Amino acid sequence: MNITQTYQTDNDVESTPAAPSAKQLLRHILPLFRQYRLRLFAGFAALIVVDFLQLSIPRILKRGVDSLAAESATREILLRYGLYIILIAMGVVVLRFIWRYMIIGFSRYLERAIRNRIFAHIVKMDTAFFEKRTTGDIMAHASNDLNAVQMACGMGMVAAVDALVMTVAAIAFMSFIHVKLTLLALLPMPFLAIFTRILSGRMHRRFTTVQEQFSLLTEFSRSTLVSVKLIKAYTMEKFQTREFDKLGRKYVKSNLGVARIQGLMFPIATLVGNMGMLLILFFGGRLVIIGEISMGDFVAFITYLYMLIWPMMAIGWVTNLVQRGITSLTRIDSLLKERSLLPYAGEEVEKQEQITFELKNLNFTYPSSASPVLKDFSLTIGPGIHGMTGRTGSGKSTICKILARLYPVKDDSLFFNGLDVNTLAVESICANIGYVAQEPTLFSNSIAANIKLGKPEAVDEKMEEAARLAAIHEDIMAFPDGYETIIGERGVKLSGGQRQRLALARALLIDRPVLIIDDGLSAVDVETEHQIFAGLKEHLQGKTVLIVSNRLKLLTMTDHIIVLENGEISHDGRHEQLLEQSRFYRSMFAKQMRESEQLDYK
Amino acid sequence: MKDFGYQEDSTTAPLGDFNLWGRILVYCRYHWQLMTAAIILSLLITGATLGLPYLIQTGIDGYITNSELEIAERLSGLSMISIIFFGLVIIVLVATFFQVVTLEYVGQSIMHRIRQNLFGHMLKLDPHFFDTNPTGRLVTRLTNDIQNMHEMFTSVLVTIFNDLLRIVGILIVLFLLNARLALVMSIFVPIAVIITQLFARLARAQFRRIRSQLAKLNSFLSESISGIATLQVFGRQKETRKLHEKLSFGYLQRNLDQIKLFGTFMPLTEFMSSTAIALILWYGGSEILRNQLTLGELVAFLSYMRLFFQPLRELAQKYSIVQSAMASAERIFQLFDLKSDRILADKPHSAEDIHGNLQFHGVHFSYDGKHQVCKDISFTIRRGETVALVGATGSGKTTLVNLLLRFYDPQQGRITIDDIDISQFSLTNLRQLVGVVLQDIFILQDTLLANIVMDTGTSRQRVEEILAQTGIDRFVDRLPSGLDTLIGEGGQQLSTGEKQLLAFARVLCRNPIILVLDEATAAIDTESENILEEAIAESFANRTSLVIAHRLSTIRRADTILVMEEGRITERGNHDELMELNGHYAELVAMDVYNEAT
Ligand SMILES: Nc1ncnc2c1ncn2[C@@H]1O[C@H](COP(=O)(O)OP(=O)(O)OP(=O)(O)O)[C@@H](O)[C@H]1O
Ligand SMILES: Nc1ncnc2c1ncn2[C@@H]1O[C@H](COP(=O)(O)OP(=O)(O)OP(=O)(O)O)[C@@H](O)[C@H]1O
Ligand SMILES: [Mg+2]
Ligand SMILES: [Mg+2]
Repeated sequence: MNITQTYQTDNDVESTPAAPSAKQLLRHILPLFRQYRLRLFAGFAALIVVDFLQLSIPRILKRGVDSLAAESATREILLRYGLYIILIAMGVVVLRFIWRYMIIGFSRYLERAIRNRIFAHIVKMDTAFFEKRTTGDIMAHASNDLNAVQMACGMGMVAAVDALVMTVAAIAFMSFIHVKLTLLALLPMPFLAIFTRILSGRMHRRFTTVQEQFSLLTEFSRSTLVSVKLIKAYTMEKFQTREFDKLGRKYVKSNLGVARIQGLMFPIATLVGNMGMLLILFFGGRLVIIGEISMGDFVAFITYLYMLIWPMMAIGWVTNLVQRGITSLTRIDSLLKERSLLPYAGEEVEKQEQITFELKNLNFTYPSSASPVLKDFSLTIGPGIHGMTGRTGSGKSTICKILARLYPVKDDSLFFNGLDVNTLAVESICANIGYVAQEPTLFSNSIAANIKLGKPEAVDEKMEEAARLAAIHEDIMAFPDGYETIIGERGVKLSGGQRQRLALARALLIDRPVLIIDDGLSAVDVETEHQIFAGLKEHLQGKTVLIVSNRLKLLTMTDHIIVLENGEISHDGRHEQLLEQSRFYRSMFAKQMRESEQLDYK
Repeated sequence: MKDFGYQEDSTTAPLGDFNLWGRILVYCRYHWQLMTAAIILSLLITGATLGLPYLIQTGIDGYITNSELEIAERLSGLSMISIIFFGLVIIVLVATFFQVVTLEYVGQSIMHRIRQNLFGHMLKLDPHFFDTNPTGRLVTRLTNDIQNMHEMFTSVLVTIFNDLLRIVGILIVLFLLNARLALVMSIFVPIAVIITQLFARLARAQFRRIRSQLAKLNSFLSESISGIATLQVFGRQKETRKLHEKLSFGYLQRNLDQIKLFGTFMPLTEFMSSTAIALILWYGGSEILRNQLTLGELVAFLSYMRLFFQPLRELAQKYSIVQSAMASAERIFQLFDLKSDRILADKPHSAEDIHGNLQFHGVHFSYDGKHQVCKDISFTIRRGETVALVGATGSGKTTLVNLLLRFYDPQQGRITIDDIDISQFSLTNLRQLVGVVLQDIFILQDTLLANIVMDTGTSRQRVEEILAQTGIDRFVDRLPSGLDTLIGEGGQQLSTGEKQLLAFARVLCRNPIILVLDEATAAIDTESENILEEAIAESFANRTSLVIAHRLSTIRRADTILVMEEGRITERGNHDELMELNGHYAELVAMDVYNEAT
C-alpha cells in the first residue's frame, strides 16, 4: 500500500521460470487493459504529469533562493514564487486523485472481472471438479489470490511506472551533464537485473507454497466449522485445534521462506543504488580533484543521482508485489483452465412430455477412485415409477447422479429419448429433470425462497401446493414466521425430515417430466411417508420417476423395482418376482415384515 | 436463549481504539525482545541511510573541493570516505535482511497466535452461534481478516517508532536553528494530526464496510459451492451468477469509495509539505530581507523541512494500513468477546463410576423462545435398558439428543445421569459419557482411521476388529488404501450409507456409558442393519441406549417405546403394550406393514 517506491520492467514479468507462459497469463488480464485503456491512459498521464510537476517545485524554490542570494528579491517576488508552489501543489493534489482513482480503480475493476469469471466458471463445472478442489481452496483463490493480483495491477503498476519515469528523467538529466559519469553510475544495474532474475524464480516457488498453505488453512477451518457438532459431540476440539496449529505453523514457515528472499531483494536493490553513488563519489571525486570535471557539474550530478536511488530502493518492493501477482494469477489460471467435461454447447432439446433414459453398457469410474462403480451397466427407464434398492455402496446414488447429468459419461452410453446425451446441451437436459439428492443442500434463505429455487416466479399457491404434496405445509405454518422463516445455513434450523421434505417440495414445484428421488424420505416417518406417496402417485402420472429406497413399503408402491448389487443389476421386476428371485429382497422383506406377523396374531 | 447478537454489518458498534490497541499489544508482548531488536535494527538502518548523504557532503566539502589540501591527501581522504560509505551500505544490507526476516517472524507468529486462539475460541462457542453465523463469514475472519493485519505487524508497528523519533528529532533541530520559524512550522503538526484523525474515522468506516462485504461474498461463494449440484440441476447457474455479480459489484463500489477517500486525503500531506516550503520561502525570505535570518539558515531549514515531512508522509500512509488492519482486528476481537452464557460447573463432577441411569425431568425447551419444541418431557432409562423414540418428523426427537449433549440447555426441567444434573459435569466428560450417532452425517477431512478413532486413541487392531464385527470391513476393503484412505471433500467420497456405517464404527470405538442413535440406520440396507444390530446388542448389552428411528423394525426390540407428537410424549410402553393401546403407535405399525392388497 505504499507508493513511495518503484519499478518493474516487463522483462521481469517474463523472466519467471516456473510460471506458465506469460502469454497464457496475460490472456486473463490483457483484455481488461484494453477495455479500460482510456481510464488507464488518463491515470498514467496524470501520474507522469505529477512526476514532472514535482520536479518543478525544487526549480522554483531554487530560483527563489537564487534571487535572495543575488539580493534581487522583494517580498512580492517571494510571494509570487510561494503562490506558484502552492498552485502547483494544488494541481498535484487533483492529479493524484485522478491517477489513484483511475489506476487503483482499474485494479478493482480488474479484480471484479476476474472474480466474476471465476464464479461463472465454477458454476459450470461438473461434480468431479469439486471432488478435486475443496471449497476452501476455491475460496482462497477468490480472496487471497485475487487480492495479490489486484495489488500487482494497482499499486504495483503505479510504482513501476512512477519509478520508470523518475529513472528516465534522472538518467536524462545526468547524461545531459556528463555521459561517462552516467554510465559509471549505471554500472551496477546489470547486477540488479541478474539478482532479481535469480531471486524471483525462487520467490515464485515459495509464494506458490504459501498460497497453497493458505488454501489448506482455509479449507481446514471451513470443514471444521461445518462439522462443529461432530467435533463437539466427540470432544475433538483440542485435536482439531492441534491440527490447525500444525497447518498454521507450516504456513508461518513457508512465509518465512518468502521473507528470507524478500529480505535479500529489498536491500540488494538499495545496495545497487548506493553502489552507483559510491562509484560516482570515488571515481567522480577523483576526476574533480584531478580537475577533469568541474565542481559544479559534479554537485549537480550528485543531486540527480539521489533521484535515482529512490526508484532503485523500490525495485525490491515492486518485484515482490509483481511476483505475488504472477504466482496468484498462475493459480487462478490453472483453476480457470479446468474444463467441465459436460457438454455445455451441445444441441438444445425441446421440453418434452415423455422421457426415456437408456443406459447402455455403461462403465463408470469416479475420477477420484481406481475401480469402476458401474460395470457394463444397461438399464432403460421410461415413463412410470421405478424403485431401486440395493446394499449400501452398490451404486444407486451413482446412477441417480449420472442421470441428473452431474458426472460426465463416455459417448454412446447414456441416451435421452434415443439421443446420445453428449451431443445435447447439459442445461437443456437438466431442464427436464427434478432431482432430490440423498443429502440435499438447502440455502440459508427463507423457506419460500428455498422451495422456489427452481422457479422463483411461481405464485404462492403453487408453492403451497408443492409443500402440501411433500407434507411439509403444516410444519411450515407452525413456525412463527411461516414461509418466511430463515432456515440457516444448510437448513440447520430444521429437523432432518423437514429438510428432506423441503427438498422434495422444491423438486415438485418445478414439475418436470423426470423426477429422481434418491432416498429422499429416509428421515421421514412412515405416516408422513405414506401420506406423501399417496398424494404423489397422482401427481406423477405419466412421468419418468426413479425412487431409491431401502424401505419395502415404499418400493411396493412402485411399478418396477431394480435391485442393485456391486454396480450391477442383480434382479429387476415387480415385487412378487423379486420375492422369488432376489435373496437380498427376500431378506429385506423378512425383516420389515416381522411387524405384520406380530399384527396378524394380535 | 440469549441471542449472540453477533450481527456483522457495518453498523456494529465499533470497539474503541484504545481497547483494540491494548489487545493487539497484548499479543505483541510475547515477542518484545525480537520487536525491540527490530526497532534497534530499524534505527540503525535509518541512521546509516541518513549517514550516507552526510558522508557525501563531507567527501565533497572536506576533500573533493578542499583545495587547501595536497592532491594525494585529498585522494586518500576520498578513498577513506568511500570505504566508510561502502561499510555503511553493507550494514544497511545486512540490517535490512535481518529486520525483514525478524519482522516477518514476529508478525507471522502473532497472526498465528491470534488465528489459533480464535479457532479454539470458536470451537468453544455454542451450536446456537453456528446456527446463525454462516461458515463463510467465520472462515473469512479466521483467514482473510487475520491476513489483513499482516502489514500492520510486519511493516507498521516497528517503523512507527522510527518515524515518530525522526519527527521529534527534526523538530528539535528546527527549534535549535530558529525558534520562531520552527514555531510557525509546528502548526503543521496539529493540522496533520487533525486531518489524519478525520481521515482515520472515515477510512475505518469504509474499511468496515469493505470487510463485511468481503465476508458476504465469501459466505455466498462457500454456500454456492456446497450446493453447486443442486444449483445446476435446478438450472440456477445464471441467477446465482447474477447474485454473485451483485455482491461483487457491491464490493467494487465500496472499494471505489475507499479509493476516493484515499485519493482525497493521501495527497494532503504532500500538499502540506509544498505549502510549508512556499511559506518558508516567503516568510523566511522576508526575514532575510529584514536581516533576521541568514541565507544559509534558510537553505538548511528547507532541507530539514523536507526531512520532516517525509516521515510524516510515511506515517500517514502507514496509518491507512493501520485503519484497514483495525477494521479487521475489530471484527476479530468482537468474536473473541462473544462468550457462551451457559453456566458451567465450577467443580465438575467426576465422570468415574457412572452407571448411566438417564433421566429427563419435565424438560421444556424452545430454540427461539417462541416456538416450544419440547414440552414437559420426562422419562427414565436405566442401565441396560433400551428406549426407543418414535414420532413424526419435526416432533422434537433430535432436540432431546441436543439437550442431552448440552448443545443447548433446557429452559425448564433437568436432565440427570445417576441423579447428577448433567450441568455438573464438564462438557468434555459429559460428551465422553454419551456416545452418539448424529442424524446429520459429518466427515472430518482426514483418513478413515482418524475418522473412526476420533479422540479415543483406539489401536488400529481394535478398529479392525470392530470393522470386522460390524461387517463394515466390506466397504473399507474397497477403498484404495483401506483405513488410511483420505476421505471427505478433496479425498475419497463415500456413499451416504457408508458414511453412516462409519459413524457407527465411531461410536463403537468409544465404548460410552450411554448410547444414542439418532436415525443411525436411515440410509443403510437391511442386511447391513442386521449385522449392525447384532454388534450393538453385543457391545452395549448392559449400557443405557436411546434409539431414534422411523423404521419400526429397528425399534421393536426396545424395552420402552416413547411416542412423541409435537414436542410431547403421548404414549409409552413396550411394543405389545402400545399395540394393545391401539393408539398412534399401532396406527404407525399398521401403516408400515406391507399389505399384499395394495
Ligand atoms: N437449531 C434450530 N434452531 C431453531 N429451530 C430448530 C433447530 N433445530 C430444530 N428446530 C426445530 O425444532 C423442531 C424439532 O426438531 P427436531 O430436529 O428435534 O425434530 P425430529 O423429531 O428430530 O425430526 P426428524 O424426525 O425429522 O429428525 C422442528 O420444528 C425444527 O424446525
Ligand atoms: N464421488 C465419489 N468418488 C469416488 N467414489 C465414490 C464417490 N461416490 C461414491 N463412491 C463410491 O462408489 C460406490 C457407490 O456409491 P453410491 O453412492 O452410488 O452408493 P449407494 O448405492 O447410493 O449407497 P447408499 O445406499 O449408501 O446410498 C461406493 O463404494 C462409494 O464409496
Ligand atoms: Mg446413495
Ligand atoms: Mg431428528
